[in-house]
Amino acid sequence: MALTAEVLGVLTFTLLAFWGVAFWALTRTLRQEGRKVEILKHQDRMDTYSPRALAELREWIENNPDDPLADDARARYNECVTVLETTDRHFYDWSDEEITRLERV
Amino acid sequence: MAMIGAMVGAGNIWRFPYVMGDNGGGAFVVAFLVLLFLLAVPGLMAEVALGRYTGKGVIGAFRDVLGPGGLVGLGVVVLLVNIALMSYYSPVIAWTLYYAAHSLLFSFTATGFEAEPFMNDLFANSALMIGLHTVVMGSIAAILILGIRRGVERVVVYAVPALIVALVIMTIRGLTLPGATEGIAFTFGIEWEYLGYSQTWIAALGQALFSTGLGWGIALTVGSYLREYDDVPLGGGVFTAIGESSIGILAALAIFPIVFAVGVEPDAGAGLAFVSLVQVFPEIPFGGIVAILFFVGFFLAAFTSGLLITEVSVTTLAEETRFTRTQTVLGVCGGIWLLGIPSAYSVDILDYLDFVFGNWGLPLATLAIIGVIGWALGPERLRLLAVNQNAGVYVGKWWDPVIKFVIPAVMIFIMAYFAVENFGSPEMIGGMLVIVLFPIIGYAVMSVLEGRGGRPETAEVPGGDD
Repeated sequence: MALTAEVLGVLTFTLLAFWGVAFWALTRTLRQEGRKVEILKHQDRMDTYSPRALAELREWIENNPDDPLADDARARYNECVTVLETTDRHFYDWSDEEITRLERV
Repeated sequence: MAMIGAMVGAGNIWRFPYVMGDNGGGAFVVAFLVLLFLLAVPGLMAEVALGRYTGKGVIGAFRDVLGPGGLVGLGVVVLLVNIALMSYYSPVIAWTLYYAAHSLLFSFTATGFEAEPFMNDLFANSALMIGLHTVVMGSIAAILILGIRRGVERVVVYAVPALIVALVIMTIRGLTLPGATEGIAFTFGIEWEYLGYSQTWIAALGQALFSTGLGWGIALTVGSYLREYDDVPLGGGVFTAIGESSIGILAALAIFPIVFAVGVEPDAGAGLAFVSLVQVFPEIPFGGIVAILFFVGFFLAAFTSGLLITEVSVTTLAEETRFTRTQTVLGVCGGIWLLGIPSAYSVDILDYLDFVFGNWGLPLATLAIIGVIGWALGPERLRLLAVNQNAGVYVGKWWDPVIKFVIPAVMIFIMAYFAVENFGSPEMIGGMLVIVLFPIIGYAVMSVLEGRGGRPETAEVPGGDD
């Protein structure tokens, strides 16, 4: 019995969807882990949010100033800003202009 | 890796292929994949993130979100489901131990070996099964007392690759057997009408919960061990869910060509892996060695799952009580051992409990965890504060309604569906008892304990909808 094109197509799709994605996620996680370790060895602190995530966090703090978790959010936001301003190696793709524009909340 | 070790076990190697065989092969794979990305990946991210954010076990994390009081009993519900699942999972680990021991004795390549009587003899020998169940729970207790963090990772580093190598060898050999292409055609040939059957989607959903361990409390507990800089979405969500399920696909690729080559029915049910796979070892060069790789790897993978499932209750109860870790381990393992005796005694009881807890208990526990995140903590808060912190990929606003509405709705649907499908049956009665009694027990226990001032902590993560 020969395998039809449909069966071979589904087989290929399944292998890519499972093993391809798993391999991509594993290699990307390990590479990022390696980069994080290298940055931490160099300067002991690391930026914790991407530009997009930090902007969204700030927006939420401004919209919910009295939320019970607002203080925790402010602390996390300000910590990331401090690290960005005081370190030279960053995990996320921050430009100098973006860092200069950052203000504490 | 610990999460992978937790769920690469019987859920993927034993359960995935036979559920797939019962539900249309390739159509099941498509349904499973959709549900994996839609529900399991976001759900796992939420569970891991809650664990890392609070740094506590199930009940402690729930108290941080809900504040002290009876509602913290939802955490007790997760623990009760977890203990019940482990009570019948331990005898399954015992099967793999028995097969691993026989692989070391080269039984599967011996002249005159017959797979089906071999398995039936094991299931019929209640004394042996209870003895093996005792060995499994005793070993789990001993390792948990010694500490598991490093131990589990070390075991997983060897067990999972050994298992993958054995499965790949068996797949290659299986594919070269006469008639094997029918197995591939069955596994990956899409019968589109199956995607229109609710049963296919329900089975895929149940398997997604089993394959990934969503709602078991394991992801939350492992999350509480994570370092601040670990990545939740990619490592805790995508890699965990897809990595674990990949082993299930590999197991199916190894099993179905052999099933068709040797003439076993593909919908043979729970015994499929155990009956079909052992028949290929005499056909493989160095088959005895491949059998050792497979069954020892399978046993170690299943055993590490058992370790981490039990650890959820141990971590939580050690935090919540004044007992030492050793006392907690002995209490939890002793309780599971006692509850597991009926399942070790009879496979019918094991099947009954698997049906009840797979279809009502696990969705209930998932509903408790995801419900607390979605409706008390608020998914937006968790995403902004914990999921996207140190994340390798950005998780957008699409995640919030999935956690708040989609996953809870699906869990309620699955419980209602099985209640209607099995109306009036002993399974349905057992399921109703679980979903009614467990929350009452949880609420009562935590009301009494918190009322006595046992843990009068102020909530660190006050509730409120986002």
